[in-house]
Amino acid sequence: MSTSNSNPNLQGEYNKIFIEQAPTAIAMLDNEMRYLAVSQRWLKDYKMERQRIIGLSHYEIFPEIGDDWKEEHKKCLEGAINTCDEAPFKRADGSIQWIYWDVRPWYISEGIIGGLLMHTGDITHLKEREQEKARIETILEQTNEVARIGTWEFNVDNNKIYWSKIIREIFEVTEDYKPDFETSLNFFKVGRSRDKAKNAYSNAMVDGAPFDLELEIVTAKGKNRWIRAIGQVEPAEGKENRLFGIFQDISKMKFSEIALNRAHSELKAIFNSKSIGIISTDKDGIIKNFNQGAEALLGYSASEMIGLERPLIYLLKDEIIKFKHDIALSTKKDPSNFDHYTDLSEEDVNDTREWTYRRKDGSTFPTLSTLSAIKNSNGKNEGFIAVTTDISEIKNVQHELLRKNRMLNVAEKITLMGHWQWDTIRNVVKWSTNLYSIFGIEEGLTNLTYETYFSFVHPADKEIVTEYFDKAANDKRFYSFTHRILTAKGQLKTVQLMGEIITNDQGEVVEMIGTCQDVTEQKMAEKKFRGLLESAPDAMVIVNSKGKIQLINKQAEKLFGYPAEELFNKSVETLIPERFIPEHSTQSEHFFARPRTREMGQGKELYALKKNGQELPIQISLSPLHTEEGLLVSAAIRDITKQKIAEHKIIKSKENLEAIAQKLRHQNKQLASYSHITSHNLRAPVSNLNALLSLYKQCTNEAEKIVLFEKFETVIQHLTSTLNTLVAALKIKNSNDTEDLEDINFDAILHKTKEILSYEILNSNAVIKSDFTNCSQIRSNRIYLESIFLNLIGNAMKYRSTDREPHIDIQSTLEKNGNIVLRFKDNGLGIDLERHGHKLFGLNKVFHRHPDAKGVGLFLTKTQINSLGGDISATSKVNEGTTFTINFN
Amino acid sequence: MMSTTIKICIVDDDEIYRFTIIKILESLQLPTKTTTFSDGEQALDFISDHLDQDYELPDVIFLDIDMPVMDGFQFMDEYEKIRSRVGKNITIFMVSSSLDPVDIERAKNIGAITDYLVKPLVSVQLRTILEELIQ
Repeated sequence: MSTSNSNPNLQGEYNKIFIEQAPTAIAMLDNEMRYLAVSQRWLKDYKMERQRIIGLSHYEIFPEIGDDWKEEHKKCLEGAINTCDEAPFKRADGSIQWIYWDVRPWYISEGIIGGLLMHTGDITHLKEREQEKARIETILEQTNEVARIGTWEFNVDNNKIYWSKIIREIFEVTEDYKPDFETSLNFFKVGRSRDKAKNAYSNAMVDGAPFDLELEIVTAKGKNRWIRAIGQVEPAEGKENRLFGIFQDISKMKFSEIALNRAHSELKAIFNSKSIGIISTDKDGIIKNFNQGAEALLGYSASEMIGLERPLIYLLKDEIIKFKHDIALSTKKDPSNFDHYTDLSEEDVNDTREWTYRRKDGSTFPTLSTLSAIKNSNGKNEGFIAVTTDISEIKNVQHELLRKNRMLNVAEKITLMGHWQWDTIRNVVKWSTNLYSIFGIEEGLTNLTYETYFSFVHPADKEIVTEYFDKAANDKRFYSFTHRILTAKGQLKTVQLMGEIITNDQGEVVEMIGTCQDVTEQKMAEKKFRGLLESAPDAMVIVNSKGKIQLINKQAEKLFGYPAEELFNKSVETLIPERFIPEHSTQSEHFFARPRTREMGQGKELYALKKNGQELPIQISLSPLHTEEGLLVSAAIRDITKQKIAEHKIIKSKENLEAIAQKLRHQNKQLASYSHITSHNLRAPVSNLNALLSLYKQCTNEAEKIVLFEKFETVIQHLTSTLNTLVAALKIKNSNDTEDLEDINFDAILHKTKEILSYEILNSNAVIKSDFTNCSQIRSNRIYLESIFLNLIGNAMKYRSTDREPHIDIQSTLEKNGNIVLRFKDNGLGIDLERHGHKLFGLNKVFHRHPDAKGVGLFLTKTQINSLGGDISATSKVNEGTTFTINFN
Repeated sequence: MMSTTIKICIVDDDEIYRFTIIKILESLQLPTKTTTFSDGEQALDFISDHLDQDYELPDVIFLDIDMPVMDGFQFMDEYEKIRSRVGKNITIFMVSSSLDPVDIERAKNIGAITDYLVKPLVSVQLRTILEELIQ
């Protein structure tokens, strides 16, 4: 606004006219904020057309103007210019008027402000339109959000794709994900969807054809979704350089559609099923549908049945009456004369029960049929549909199951056994009939839990039961165990539990199933058996057919030094010394092949191996035990160490006695021999003396008496000689003096003998050879040995053959047993041993008519050898020679 | 009935015994003829040599057990072998100073032995034997 001072009044008028005629809202105010002039537009904008406002205060006209604006006006009156593009102007009537303004001072003259010029504009309608647009956009955005619609744009020139927030959510990509043509295509599922997407793009690019498709995508997170893809081309400068459109997530709808299609297919399949009979009627009971399954079940064709009133033809009357009665009660109707077709209008009927259907051929079969009311859109009953299956097989299985259950019950009764199931998750327990009976309670007891069972456990066994169940749950393995229970009737019983653990896919225990057997009697029997076993005086070991120890008593623990637990299920060979194991295996097989009570290893010495490795002599009695676990063998083992010691002592005593007896026999023999010698060799001369004496007494002739006396002398000499020999022999026999023993060299003895016999040797040209290389000396009695050499060599020369020169071979050998053997071999006359062998070494026994033969030498030789603990024997052939063999022990 | 002269055979290695028996037999004054042998073999040889000559064969033999070369039992074994061929039935007495019951039993078990006599034989004993033989 410009000011002019050439004619202020005129200028003021012009200004007023200008203002009044201005097409916009302008008001001219003085320094007192009184209106000087306003435009028509001002009056219109502020709805003051019919008001006279010139001269009135601006604040009077607009009392709603606040102090803040008034302050701004003051500043303008001082020269400031105040403009605003838009601001709400809350009017006195409460309405909001959106306005813009330009307020500035007008000058009367240079530097002198005449008032204010206000230029305003009512932009309320613009503002409202803008707000409406924003609101619509918000609604649209929210709708898109709800409808899962997102927008996209593809700039063909720079291959840049814009995806809205919703699209990013649909594709499950992050906000910073930058799609391009190739990668965005990859979201479409391989196959039909991707092919369709590619085709749509090609067609759009070539022909500019828009598209509207339903496509399946795989999101960045691998989820399958369905989208509706709408797109069109925006050509620019004659070519398609922008493609834009929307994607809508239609997964829910699509999946529902798929599910619906599937359900429809399934229903169709069910209706077409040949094993499920489906029959529907209208509200009058006329059969409307009769599917293939119904045809197969009943033997009627659909054409025969459709149109029939009431399906009485294949139902039994009694069952229909019962059904009607039940339905009447369930729908709270009067059962008398009730008819479900006529008496039910909108009641829900959904009845499943077993029916007996009658086939066309008259035969009947059990079915399970569900009858449902068919309702129209108003909820009124339109008829009924019956879905029926033939349950003959199920019935058969049920009957079989019932039969087996009955058998199981009988079996459980016989075996005093019951079975149980424990749903460990819900803590629901099921018992078999006989288990109730074992626990002494009525079968009707429901709501069984683990605690029900646990309440029967004997107080002293509760801890062990808990341990076992905890262990079963931890190890996922049920260990069989026994415990006591106090039944509901107060009886004390022992039960054995066996079971299995059932786990889910995650390996968590969900169920335990098992058996519970009343083993009270068994336990009693076991106790009795245990008692018997423990009271047995012997160690008892019970072994199974595999040779594993099953049970031992205390005596056995004591005998072998093992605690029973350590030996349980160990091989019985643990108790057998290694050298006996092979034979034991064979014997064991024999026993199990022919089990009978018998003594083990009869006539053999048996030994057991103790834990400390010590062996002990034992005696074993075996008995077969026929048990449920098969054939066992009970071995009663007796430690016979004491008996063995006693036996050893007895044997030793027997040996000693035998030795003594032998000695006594020998002495007796010697005594007998002596007695014989005495009787024969002494009685003979004595009887001769008697005979001579008798003759002498009768003799009267002196000359004869002299002869007789000479005979006396002979006899007496003979008797003296015999007595001397016997005395010598007695001396030898009684000499038991080891002091006379010394180491004697055979050569020295032979040498001395040769010296004594030198005359005879020379005279007979005897050849004496000796070989003492094998054994050169002996510990013996020198005098006896010299006598033996002298006698045997002397005899060899005395009884030499006249046909040949005597050859005598003497040899000593040391035998393996340590005995020294001396052999004297000659080539003399020899002795007929068959005839004289028995008296070869007897006193006064001669075998030759040799004048020097006295029968003393060999007698004394044998006596001497015997006294040295040796013996002498001879082999001989007449006229070939004799060999004497002396064995010195 | 025997021939009037009884042929007696003494088989014994004991010279004194043979002497005393001959003397006792002489004192009996019975019709006897005595032959002596100092061992069984000699006696057996004699019998074998005179099997058919019964007049040479003894009627009675007093046979000692314990003798060199061939003892009384060995003699009996050998005699058994030729007995069937011996021309007469010879009465044999086993005579010994042994009181050994084994010897006595053994002798008595030999069928051809009439009796076992224990030395010394006295005149009464010999007379009885010889008189029985004569009858």
